[in-house]
Amino acid sequence: MSGKIDRRNFLKIMGLGGAGTALGGCDLPSTVTLEEGKEEVVSYLMPEEYVIPGVGVWYASTCTQCAAGCGIHGRVREGRVLKLEGNPGSSMNSGNICMMGQAGVQGHYNPDRIKTPMMREGGNLVAVSWEKAMNTIQEKLSAASGDQVAWFTGTLSGHQAALVNNHLEAIGAKKHYVHEPINTSVWQAVNKDMLGEAMPRLRIDKAQMILSFGADFLGTWVSPVHFAGEYAKFRKQKRRGLLVTIEPKMSLTGANSDLWIPAKPGSEGVIALGIANLLVKNHSKDMSALPADIQGLINKYDATTAANLAGVDPKRLQRIAELLVERSPSLVLAGAPVEGQAKGYASVAAVMLLNHLLGNVGQTIESQGNFPFAQLKTRTGGSSDLFAFVQAAKNKQLAAVFFYGSNPKFTAPAAIEMDSALSDVPFKVAISQFMDETTAVADVVLPAASYLEDWGTHVAAYQPEQPLIGVQQPLMEKLYADTKGFGDIMLDLLKVAKKDVYSAFADYYAYLKNAHAAMPANLKEAGMSDNDAWNAALQNGLIKVATGSKSMMVNPVSFADPAPAAADSKYGLHFVPSPRLGLWDGRHANLPWLQEAPDQITKVVWDSWAEIHPSTAQKLGIKHGSIINVESEHGTVKVQAIVIKSIHPDVIAIPMGQGHEEYGRYAKGRGANPLKLLNPIKEETTGELAIYATRVNASPTGKKEVVVRLGASDTQAGRRLVVTVPIEQYQRTEGV
Amino acid sequence: MAVNKQNHKSSSRLKVLLGKWHIRLAMIAVATALAVYPFVVVSSSSTSNEVIPPGGSHNGENVEQPIEFPHNIHVKDNGINCMYCHTYARRSKVAGIPPTSKCMGCHKVIATDKPRIQKLTEYWEKKSPPPWKKVHDVPDFVHFTHEKHLKRFVFDRDFPVENVKEVCAFCHGDVENMTVAHKVKPLNMGWCKTCHMNNGGPGDCWKCHK
Repeated sequence: MSGKIDRRNFLKIMGLGGAGTALGGCDLPSTVTLEEGKEEVVSYLMPEEYVIPGVGVWYASTCTQCAAGCGIHGRVREGRVLKLEGNPGSSMNSGNICMMGQAGVQGHYNPDRIKTPMMREGGNLVAVSWEKAMNTIQEKLSAASGDQVAWFTGTLSGHQAALVNNHLEAIGAKKHYVHEPINTSVWQAVNKDMLGEAMPRLRIDKAQMILSFGADFLGTWVSPVHFAGEYAKFRKQKRRGLLVTIEPKMSLTGANSDLWIPAKPGSEGVIALGIANLLVKNHSKDMSALPADIQGLINKYDATTAANLAGVDPKRLQRIAELLVERSPSLVLAGAPVEGQAKGYASVAAVMLLNHLLGNVGQTIESQGNFPFAQLKTRTGGSSDLFAFVQAAKNKQLAAVFFYGSNPKFTAPAAIEMDSALSDVPFKVAISQFMDETTAVADVVLPAASYLEDWGTHVAAYQPEQPLIGVQQPLMEKLYADTKGFGDIMLDLLKVAKKDVYSAFADYYAYLKNAHAAMPANLKEAGMSDNDAWNAALQNGLIKVATGSKSMMVNPVSFADPAPAAADSKYGLHFVPSPRLGLWDGRHANLPWLQEAPDQITKVVWDSWAEIHPSTAQKLGIKHGSIINVESEHGTVKVQAIVIKSIHPDVIAIPMGQGHEEYGRYAKGRGANPLKLLNPIKEETTGELAIYATRVNASPTGKKEVVVRLGASDTQAGRRLVVTVPIEQYQRTEGV
Repeated sequence: MAVNKQNHKSSSRLKVLLGKWHIRLAMIAVATALAVYPFVVVSSSSTSNEVIPPGGSHNGENVEQPIEFPHNIHVKDNGINCMYCHTYARRSKVAGIPPTSKCMGCHKVIATDKPRIQKLTEYWEKKSPPPWKKVHDVPDFVHFTHEKHLKRFVFDRDFPVENVKEVCAFCHGDVENMTVAHKVKPLNMGWCKTCHMNNGGPGDCWKCHK
């Protein structure tokens, strides 16, 4: 249908439709959209045998909406992908996908896709041809020396990572900055030191009890879809698994726990040491093998000291210690609130030490084994590269930078001065599907194909079972002829940089097929030709990789005292920029389905908000729905207050994802970006950004608005929708 | 009416509880349910051989097609079954425009001197199917399926498949006497509903609006 529908026309059409319906069967001119000869109906030239118009065919591919690497099936009808579901054959997600995966089609069909290459001319980005864009890039690359060129990406793996690596090598550059605002970098660093590998396999299904220090494994942590499946097994064990969560603000995992304990961010390390103290003193766990300084720390923080520092009832810690001993094997996890502190490494190490004391290593924490293809391994990122990039840019060490899959201008705190660092880089190339903040300041913009139009391979950092390489194949033809897949762009660059090797490949498809043929024979079914094996890989959407088994080493390393930072006299509240399943770090803010999906805890839609505890709100004169200013040393944001009990009284939380200045019609100008407020505090051991270490003030502006959220009431109005029993009765019958 | 009277007797107690207006509403609901009941029973049980084809007519527009396809030559003169070309009708919601390869299967050798066939061959050679215009269209919020209609009117009542054009004609008219297809039935909701009522088709809203 063409033309605008205003109210008047809408009523007209409704009226006519009504008449048509009422008098149906009579010889009336048809109405509404019963068109004749308007739409084209084009047949196949030569159909594939299995194609029936009107009947969907499912193809396997790999989801790239986050870095977990879930296998997907896409329903394709008449050359259009219509629906995505999980690939049951993938151990990553066993046939399930999350809402971000479901919303993938909205990224693909998004009206704000970039459709042509663009170049900055006279201050503005104007459409140019691919030839001109690529020639300009090559000119700039040949003018710069190799070590002045860098790549800045999000998590990359598989052959895309290998090609970026090869490009850097071919032009004599070394710098590959990898940045993910939602990451587990500190946890990985601790694991590497303590267990010998960064991403051990977690057997949630085998644990009798999980103690999670802010690791939102059901929502935003590492591989949430996989963990949700394992969590169901954990709960269905003969003796139902027990989940205890200690975190500053309730996450999806917190909401599912049997016991949820709010704690000040930064105090988790001390709580863990307090529990360790109880385990040693009251439950005769052996700490003699630990380094002397750790023994000292355990002795220093007895349960009462630890509980007081954290603002938690000491009895809680005693109960947790008892439960941990009683329910073995258990699993203790550390998430972003523990990592995101100046003493993040020490805190995470203190938490992970509990696994060692409880004998969980080797039971619920297993080795992933060795992945045989080093080139294809994941380049996981954190935020330490933000600092490194800004430093290099300010020192004028960067002449040309390629950006892909990362939006540092949006995700970097204002205090890091990313904006001026970006303007210090004279030539910026952005490979992007959308005009995000970073792309908008680029000098050359290359329009990327969507992940449903592109080839690729993905090796997720977390591999739940036998490791696999996820195969990504296009589910349909490109919507816009002038866009290009990331692998094809890489090949174009490499055909110049390393002509002798890469000129043999017509396109990325040919490259991948060739790379697959070159893989060792034990990855393919015996007796299969290369072509059949390749087709099998496409059909399965994955390639299973054989690994040697490896046992976990345990090396309880020394760590500093994780004492929480002192109170700030000027800024009284701990600030939590909470990650959110849906908008993630802001990359999905342009997908209306995810904007519309209510937040799991507050149920707010389409906006930003600040969660604040009722007692704190009362003290500050803030009411539910008040518009408040949240102020840190480095900025102020204006958001609506949600007064809610599921947060520690000393904490205020604003979810990540909103506050875009660019990024298309659905995201632009909506809500506030909490990341901008952060103090540029570094984690002391790893150099990561300590994102939970900022302190803020909150003050009402005097304005108040209606809170737009689903199910606006917290009470059941006496309807007994969820039936409850008194705690005494529960303890009597369930024995907890 | 007997039931209504009984309701009336017991209504004095209800009256106290609910008030007069609600009673009336309840009575209307009961009466409506009684009125609809026999129809529901009949409609759900009738899948007999008796078929009442839909009536109605519609004076469709003359749709200009890239090639003036003569249905009459194919169906009437040469006796080709509808489902030979519209082969997906029995298997899918859409009947399908035949793939160009199917046209060329015959027209590589048949009638190659005719201008229409030469035009078709041009499309074939440049590997782009002719951009046919859709004549029979229902709005996007209507889920219509050929498969279920063929099952009901052809296969379930053992109607001879060689005469399938008579069933196709219910909705598409006398195609064997047309050149390019021409819309001769209204294909609007009331028209669909009448046929569903006459022939025991489903009456639920969501059967078509899903």
